[in-house]
Amino acid sequence: MSSQDKPDNMQELVTEIARALVDEPGAVIVEAVERDESTVLRLRVAPADVGKVIGKQGRTARSMRTILGAVSMKHHHRYTLDILEENQQAAKAE
Amino acid sequence: MPIDDYSAAAQSIAAFLKTLTAPGRLRLKYRITAGSGAADPDGLEAREIYVELAGPDAPLLTQRGGELLRALEHVAAKIIRLDQEEHDKVSFDANNFKALRARELKLAADTAAEKVRRTGQPYSFAPMSSRERRMLHLAFRGYDDLETASSGEGLRRFVVAYPKGYDHEKLSTGLAGHRR
Repeated sequence: MSSQDKPDNMQELVTEIARALVDEPGAVIVEAVERDESTVLRLRVAPADVGKVIGKQGRTARSMRTILGAVSMKHHHRYTLDILEENQQAAKAE
Repeated sequence: MPIDDYSAAAQSIAAFLKTLTAPGRLRLKYRITAGSGAADPDGLEAREIYVELAGPDAPLLTQRGGELLRALEHVAAKIIRLDQEEHDKVSFDANNFKALRARELKLAADTAAEKVRRTGQPYSFAPMSSRERRMLHLAFRGYDDLETASSGEGLRRFVVAYPKGYDHEKLSTGLAGHRR
């Protein structure tokens, strides 16, 4: 993995897509958590926007994961997407 | 919500595609057509915005039954704030995938129609996306003696073709509502 393949690019990708989907783009935060074989991108949005990034029957989240999967292949590194919901966000804040 | 500003919608979609080509590094080119110029000449798609993708990574889009193409379509429709029932207004295509798939579905419809006529029994198609179900429903418009309905929920929703006037009580799957 070269330096330009570091998660910044993927963080930016998910951040930009999430910002376009929500009503409060300023509240979008994406953290990259390195695991052994993969990088977990943890997406947080305003509580009122959680439904927008998940979608009906989880379809928007699934679509974002499909996109991430394709881009992962290009980057030869696995990226997964976690969407933190309100209670998890609250728990993390404590 | 109807698309009242095609130019703004096209710009939002272009910005979305740029995230895929720049940070995402997918090698894709795109052409976005919006408004009357986007209409499907075959009338199979109800599209108002047509996004044609090409380039070295275009084959990624059409793998696994066009899974990535559908994912891009879905996110783009959400980005321009289309309601669920209006998602068909945005269509993404690559390597003529939509037209080829439409042709496959038309052949599948013809085969199924022949079978329903021969047996007098309903025919259930494999589960497919709402767009593909719509293409099937349209394909059956040419058959006056047959009708179609969609059954099942979510990802497992599928089209059933049956003889016109067929007693719905007999449909063991329990049809979850007609479409068109």
